[in-house]
Amino acid sequence: MLTLEQKREVEEFLYREAFLLDEMRFDEWLDMLSEDIEYTMPLREHLQGDVEPAGHPIIKDDKLMLTMRAKKHETGLSHVEIPRSLTEHIVTNILIEDGDNPTELRVYSNFLVRQARKLRDEAWWAGRRKDVLRREDGGWKIARREVLLDSIVLPRGITIFF
Amino acid sequence: MVSLGELREVVNWQEGLISPSVLFDKELYREEQTKVFEKVWMVVGHEDMLRKPGDYVTNYMGEVPVVVSRDMEGELHVLVNRCVHRGNEVCLFDRGNARAFTCSYHGWTYEISGKLIGVPMEKELYRDEIDHDSWGLEQVRVASYKGLIFATFDQSAPSLEEWLGEDGCWWLRNYVLVEHLGGLEALPGWHRYRTPGNWKHLAENFIGDDYHVIAATHVSWLKVVQEFTQKGYPIRRAAASIAAKRYEVTTGYLKGCPMGFGNMVLGQQAYEQDLALAEKIGHDAVEWVRYRNSRFQEVMKEYEIAPYSFQNGAIFPNLGLMGFLSPLAGRQFLLFHPRGTAEMEQWQWTMVEKEAPAIVKEVAAEYAYRGQHMAGTIAPDDVENQERIVEAMRAPRNWRKPHNYRLQLGHEEEAPQGIPGQVGPNPSEINQRNFYRFWLELMEA
Repeated sequence: MLTLEQKREVEEFLYREAFLLDEMRFDEWLDMLSEDIEYTMPLREHLQGDVEPAGHPIIKDDKLMLTMRAKKHETGLSHVEIPRSLTEHIVTNILIEDGDNPTELRVYSNFLVRQARKLRDEAWWAGRRKDVLRREDGGWKIARREVLLDSIVLPRGITIFF
Repeated sequence: MVSLGELREVVNWQEGLISPSVLFDKELYREEQTKVFEKVWMVVGHEDMLRKPGDYVTNYMGEVPVVVSRDMEGELHVLVNRCVHRGNEVCLFDRGNARAFTCSYHGWTYEISGKLIGVPMEKELYRDEIDHDSWGLEQVRVASYKGLIFATFDQSAPSLEEWLGEDGCWWLRNYVLVEHLGGLEALPGWHRYRTPGNWKHLAENFIGDDYHVIAATHVSWLKVVQEFTQKGYPIRRAAASIAAKRYEVTTGYLKGCPMGFGNMVLGQQAYEQDLALAEKIGHDAVEWVRYRNSRFQEVMKEYEIAPYSFQNGAIFPNLGLMGFLSPLAGRQFLLFHPRGTAEMEQWQWTMVEKEAPAIVKEVAAEYAYRGQHMAGTIAPDDVENQERIVEAMRAPRNWRKPHNYRLQLGHEEEAPQGIPGQVGPNPSEINQRNFYRFWLELMEA
């Protein structure tokens, strides 16, 4: 059973993460991820009857790929982020459970992200995240993240992090 | 507004001068839904998506929702997804396995083949007078070529193979669908996203615009891949950096259905690169790349300059293809569904070579979702261009000056010949000119 203080610490961690993403401080955000992070976003589909699951997800990234995505935007040539998007990550409904071992926690959260591009283009992204947080060097790291977007036909291509 | 009589002036493909009104004029859009989308053969899926009787996927032909199904006898159908009684959609799922669809309005029920099999209280209310044969779901004419399923609303259209042409079939069979190497396996699932812009603009981007790849749009990603590869990170991607001359391929040139392939490397250089890439992936991949190439060479032995693979391509009207010059990258099929003059939906699916080892299939899938895909590092930059074009083209006065499609105009044949189709220099805009040539023919018919 987590103490209130521990819960508060996890919530602060997620709010700090959202803050860094909205501030576009990606190097610091990458530091919040464990070296062996698995960041996935499954394909959402409406299926009927006995059919095979999706053949591949929307995203399945390791830390290298997440880093390359962030670095792409730093080249100054990444058109999807020129000018930079304005984003607000609203993170709520945080639930914390014991993890598979004493150094880990399962953390669930819901998000609403608005992304504004250029003069008036925008996208609203809603969904849930299923994270595993791990205690490393006296702090928390995100070791697993599964992002479940509530979209079948996505409102635009994904060039931001959730 | 452009009248149909003026079309010839705004689509001066011979001179490479094409007005953006073909993209943004609402009247032309309305005409096009009939004159183009009701006349052409369109890709709606692949037979490997429908392995068992009762399997189906939903899709669109233009703005028309359709169900692509395999019935209990194994026959393929393309059905308009609309109850013939009151127009309700009868299938609400992206894909599935079912014996029948029941309409949620009055309960009319159709077999997976489209046949009407149930009308609630038929005896009492209709006195058994409904002709079941004429009140089934609307059947669209369907045909498949080496597994790729096409459909057309036009009963008088030529056969599919005639439509694609001998040259087009040669390219499709040998490079996209690889019949001689065991064919393709579909990885289930539509990957879909809203995309600003007119469907033709993205179709022309795939059929022939290799200029944007190297000149501006994708340089950020190419730069990052190069940097990280140099730093020694284990990147399982073709660097797309073969220092070889590139060529453009056109089938249906000046006549019939346009198909184009871009950024082709003639001969075996892309194979050498593939082998180097396979070594990073592992033993199974190396063995397969070698074995595959020996079989491929067998099929191609009469063509000295035949390329090993293709980078990008498209079939008129709205199918885009990606092959990334490497069978290790699988195949990506992209449909550009029209949703008004300035909006479309991209519907994409991934295929891998059936006989490839598991690790190659895994790498190919990764190639798909990390590259030319809604969450990849390539496609969103293409879409960004479309979004900016829509913003710049809101005012009809900006449609007056034609766009410049003159790249390699008059130099279309300056390349080695000897394989089916027209081989030309790259980058070029031959395929875009040919795309609008055919579009104009259909609109004027």
